[in-house]
Amino acid sequence: MNKILTVARTEYMIAVTSKAFVVGVIMMPVFMCGAFVVQLLTRDQVDLTARKLAVVDRTGQMFEKLDSAAQQRNEYGIYKSDEDPDAEGDSANRKQVAAKFELERVDSSAANAELEAELSERVKAQELFAFAIIDEDILAPGTPGKVRYHSQTPTYQTQYRWLQRTINELVRQHRLKELEIAPESFAAIASGVEVEERGLVEANSDGTGQETKKLDKIATLAVPFGGIMLMFVMIMSVAPAMLNNVLEEKMQKISEFLVSSLTPFQLMLGKLVGAVWVALTLATIYIAAAIFLANYFDFSDNIPIHLYFWFVFYLFIALTIFGALFSAIGAACSELRDAQSLMTPVMLMVVMPMMCIAPVLDSPSSTFAKLVSLFPPATPMLMFARMALPPGPAAWEIALGTVLSIAFAGFCVYAAGKVFRIGILSQGQTPTFGKLLKWIFTK
Amino acid sequence: MNAVSIRNVTKTYGSHRAVDNLSLEVPTGSLYGFIGPNGSGKTTTIRMILRIIQPDQGSIRVFDSEGGSAANDQVGYLPEERGLYKKLSVRRMLKYYASLKGLSSRECELQTNRWLEHFEASEWANKKIESLSKGMSQKVQFIASIIAAPKLLILDEPFSGLDPVNAESIRAAILQLRAEGTTIIFSTHDMAVAEKMCDYIFMIFRGDKVLDGTLESIKAEYGADTVRLRFNGPRESLSVLPGVQRVTDMGEYQELQFNGDPQAILSRLCEQGSISLFEIAQPSLHDIFIRIAGEDSQAALAEGAAS
Repeated sequence: MNKILTVARTEYMIAVTSKAFVVGVIMMPVFMCGAFVVQLLTRDQVDLTARKLAVVDRTGQMFEKLDSAAQQRNEYGIYKSDEDPDAEGDSANRKQVAAKFELERVDSSAANAELEAELSERVKAQELFAFAIIDEDILAPGTPGKVRYHSQTPTYQTQYRWLQRTINELVRQHRLKELEIAPESFAAIASGVEVEERGLVEANSDGTGQETKKLDKIATLAVPFGGIMLMFVMIMSVAPAMLNNVLEEKMQKISEFLVSSLTPFQLMLGKLVGAVWVALTLATIYIAAAIFLANYFDFSDNIPIHLYFWFVFYLFIALTIFGALFSAIGAACSELRDAQSLMTPVMLMVVMPMMCIAPVLDSPSSTFAKLVSLFPPATPMLMFARMALPPGPAAWEIALGTVLSIAFAGFCVYAAGKVFRIGILSQGQTPTFGKLLKWIFTK
Repeated sequence: MNAVSIRNVTKTYGSHRAVDNLSLEVPTGSLYGFIGPNGSGKTTTIRMILRIIQPDQGSIRVFDSEGGSAANDQVGYLPEERGLYKKLSVRRMLKYYASLKGLSSRECELQTNRWLEHFEASEWANKKIESLSKGMSQKVQFIASIIAAPKLLILDEPFSGLDPVNAESIRAAILQLRAEGTTIIFSTHDMAVAEKMCDYIFMIFRGDKVLDGTLESIKAEYGADTVRLRFNGPRESLSVLPGVQRVTDMGEYQELQFNGDPQAILSRLCEQGSISLFEIAQPSLHDIFIRIAGEDSQAALAEGAAS
């Protein structure tokens, strides 16, 4: 036991004092803050070149109104201090943050196809940014007419969205006027009714019911989704690193020296314990940050205390399973490229819960969700996700999932120990899955 | 009492029998040389003594203990293929290996300082392994194998890749440890080194023990059937001399293995050229090795001579 702890302690110290760990834990928030600051600094760095839009108005009634709306936007809608009433009208003191739209009327009775060809050439020659053709019959309700917007820069959506919004508003106003309906009356008629999502009443100890809480869908999904993502990141940052660690020691002939002092199983277990400690250290840091942020943003009601325990417990199980499997692969191979084929099925097991996340979060009590959350390699992530979502799995499901995942973790450690024992000193050809099974069941 | 007692041990890998019904006693305090061509079963035997692998049949007792890993704390091992943690400092790595052998933190510190001073490497204590020269790395690995003051030390090609100065410092340390009572098993392809240093020689060939005993007893077994000769005449005439079975060119002289009358050989040589050395002797270990292992072993010996 002492030797296992000696290996674990050394592996842990090597990991947590490495640059990669320091960068991963301490520098990551710095990098994220840095990225945020860079985003803030570059937010206003937009191309302010005026976007010239040619408009073919077949209705004969829309261009003036559109042009007026564009001028209104150019005057008040594209400056940073537009909300400051003092700044209004004083463009010299305002900072422009979006491009102006300049509209050009195109009077032509030519067919659409002919016009499109001509205007397309002008766009290509950069005389225009885009052009729009407004059909004649768009003003009457229920007609099939439309507005076609042509541009060679489909990624710039600002002008398209402005045109769509403005034309619809103008057409709506026109139709209301035709029908002699006051715009205020229409707004009142069209106003919607809120359908509020709320939770169930939880009985107090005195038998009275608590007031139900308003459900925040994002907040409800944030905990299971965030938990799964954090667990996935922990597994991916620790388990494959074990493969590299074992393989590197094997390639550098350190393993033979080590196994003269302790058994291969002790060596593997020591490495596994060390890796789990590293992951739990990372998890502690991130959980502490999560608790701080949850309190800061008044979100802590959404994370029951027992979920922290289950997160750590399932993280421990997942790391034991995948750490053991990855270290066995590292021991069985002689080169990193040989490990790729053996890694594939294990990687599939790691990402399988991620592939099932959508249906499980959508219907956490469905048969599918129950079955996949009882599949041991997926239990840590998916059972945790179900526990974080109301109403949560039944107690027997949690108990069964826990027993199955512990048993599977135990089997993985046993099997990995058997592979490790033979593989760590073997050289040459990478064993097949059949041979690995033979190693597992060899006395 | 024997430090190592191997009884009827067999180890098979698939259809290949690496060690076949091997029995061997290594007396406490002795320096036992393991020789044999590559793939003959030396490393398998060493790994079984270390309990890294288990024999299929038979038993191996180390300091009278057959199972468990406690005995391994009394065994130091220097594998043929050296490996150290490149990113660790010399001190940290040595302390790690010492702690794996069960030394307390204080003992780890004491032994680390003692051996670094012994090899005049104290100034390297806080340097990373990756910054060391090859010779210095091998010294560090040697220190790692002896840091826990093992009662049994197993050295696999300890001088491989070392320059004469470093080889001499390791050789002196090995002899010092033997003088202090450490039992040493010493695997090598360098017959001259084995002949100079070892009390006993054990040779394994194709999994079978073919030699075991003191150097004197092994040589006596072969008798005085060798002529050492420095001959200034046609070399090709040596192999056709009466009774000569084998001619080995040793560089400065030739060794003739004969079966018959050495006087007849001498008379014939005098007719063919001048002779500055003619000595009837026991065969060298090198010659015995070749007689047993034949042509298969030439490559192994060349490798040993090169290192």
